[in-house]
Amino acid sequence: MQKAQRLLDLAAFLLRAAEPLSWREIQEQFPDDYGRGTGEAAIRKFERDKAELLELGIPVRYLAGDEDLSAGYLIDKDEFYLPDLRLLPEDLALLYLAGSAALAKGTFPYARDLAHALNKLSFAARAPGASEAAALATRAMSEEKAAPRADPSTVARLLEELSRAMALKKRVHLVYLGAQRRERTERDVDPYGLYQSGGAWFLTGWCHLREAQRTFHLARIVSLSVNASAPRTPDFETRKDFSLAEVATRGWWELEEHAPVRCRVRLDASAPAEARASFGRRARVEEDGAGAIVELEVTNKEGLLRHVLSFGDAAEVLSPRSIRERAREILAGLARGLP
Amino acid sequence: MKARRRPGGKRRPAAARAGPVAARPDPRDRLRRVLFLVPYAVRHPGIHVKDLARRCGCTEKEILEDLDFLLGVGSPPFAPDDFLDLYVEGDRVHVALHQSFSRPPRFTESEAAALAAAARALGGEGRERVVKALRDSVPRGRRASFDELVERIYAGAPPAPDSVLGRLQRAIADRRAVTLAYRSASSGSPGDRTVHPYTLAQRLGHWYLYGHDSARGRALAFRVDRIQGCMLTEERFEPPSDAELARARLFSEPSGEPIRLRLGPIAAAWALGRPGLELVKNLENGGAVVEVSGADDAWATRFALSFGGAAEVVGPAPARRHFAEAVRRTLARYA
Repeated sequence: MQKAQRLLDLAAFLLRAAEPLSWREIQEQFPDDYGRGTGEAAIRKFERDKAELLELGIPVRYLAGDEDLSAGYLIDKDEFYLPDLRLLPEDLALLYLAGSAALAKGTFPYARDLAHALNKLSFAARAPGASEAAALATRAMSEEKAAPRADPSTVARLLEELSRAMALKKRVHLVYLGAQRRERTERDVDPYGLYQSGGAWFLTGWCHLREAQRTFHLARIVSLSVNASAPRTPDFETRKDFSLAEVATRGWWELEEHAPVRCRVRLDASAPAEARASFGRRARVEEDGAGAIVELEVTNKEGLLRHVLSFGDAAEVLSPRSIRERAREILAGLARGLP
Repeated sequence: MKARRRPGGKRRPAAARAGPVAARPDPRDRLRRVLFLVPYAVRHPGIHVKDLARRCGCTEKEILEDLDFLLGVGSPPFAPDDFLDLYVEGDRVHVALHQSFSRPPRFTESEAAALAAAARALGGEGRERVVKALRDSVPRGRRASFDELVERIYAGAPPAPDSVLGRLQRAIADRRAVTLAYRSASSGSPGDRTVHPYTLAQRLGHWYLYGHDSARGRALAFRVDRIQGCMLTEERFEPPSDAELARARLFSEPSGEPIRLRLGPIAAAWALGRPGLELVKNLENGGAVVEVSGADDAWATRFALSFGGAAEVVGPAPARRHFAEAVRRTLARYA
């Protein structure tokens, strides 16, 4: 019998049983699958099936018997059925809208699981109210056209493989194209986390080539292979001091390129509303009549300059002078090519 | 257990509509789909194959294949009442015997973690409440894995304070009008807008509220990170029909010609994987010319400048002019 069919049959068989089913009863019901071979091999096969059912969200339990109940396997109905999440209407809206937008972009870790989860949501609440209809609109509105060169399905596939590797703690081997050096390197990486920044996805993990924690732009991963040996045995432990949020919320200016430098930035009142918050929680923002002065510690001056330039003439680096000179150089270079 | 197709049931030819391309067929995908499909069909007796396919995010062909799969399931010594009895009649799916598959199984840890990561990136007052609810709906034995996974995905920072997002979400769910303190890109100071909020959506990395602006008399997109305050009013509204809403777009398209940018090699490497950009051509030096639709001149200028000299706006003429003027005015600040 095909495995998928067997798993479904097994689940149905256990679900409709009134009492725990003994190993013998299961063997009798599935003589071709668990009845043949040595007892040991059949039990191992059954245990693998149990593990796969659990991965589908179906927990099969072994109950040691007592005087009222015989020993055996069962699926606890309370543990099987998706419960009502008892969410407030606004919380249900949050789940529906966030999940639908993430799915629409086509690139999200566990994208296929996300699609299944969104489907199941319709069973997780008594009345979906306006949220379900709103989520359909979210999905249609959030779809994006493809990115240049990077085939979105490639990033989607990388995300899928990396999410699996991360969950099972399997080491991956990367062929990676550096941005600055434009050269290919090969390395082993322990995948610690995946994060999104500026619409692109990054992998962060322990790089065995550099012997340090490193971050990789998914679109620049040329190829990836997951260590296939012992798929259910972890290859690594994540370092205790690792914090994904810390890595993911770093601004460009916080990438470690040089010793920290105090910088000051002027934001005009005409700067977009989101500009102030864009400098992150570690920046000090002081409002004055003309807008705001942002003071922050910078370990990548070029990164800060790029960020400030993105606000056009509504922002300016006040100090240090080296960044101002660099700004002049860049802008003069651009101006030379303009009509 | 067996699924049967009634002898009189007419099989519809496989639909030609192309579905989302599956990266790699995984037999577990089918199992997960049928574990949803069966209870959904139980709850919606006589649902059209087409609607069921849309619900499952797959093609009609796949649904019919799933039903075939269910047909193949089962072996002796099952008794007649042990079959899972599902049949198609005139394009409609009926379930005669569901064999306890009346509700889908609990969330797997990766389903719950993906949804939790998405929810944390949008934010709202319910942000941590939903993470807890998701955790509780994972089988007990898998909750520790959920706890770990949820810390391994960071999908972005919420676009506005939780209080603003929480109120928007409540207003969308309850269909109540809101008053927004909104600072548009063009006007410097915030102004009050009364809006019937329909939904939230994400484009080019930004979240937007899509809703009907009472004063302007039409549906508009508001950037969520420019909403500085949000108050619910007592006014209730009737939303557009589901079909109308599904057809709505954030920006009126086409909003003119797409904007063209030339990227140097390093900028091109960085812009890879960015949604919304379309490649026009690769350049010999490793750079690229790309186009972006539905963006305004100001956005394109900012985007190009963010590459620190490695990108410029090349067309159309008004966008190029906007970029040139911004470069000159910014240069003047560093003189």
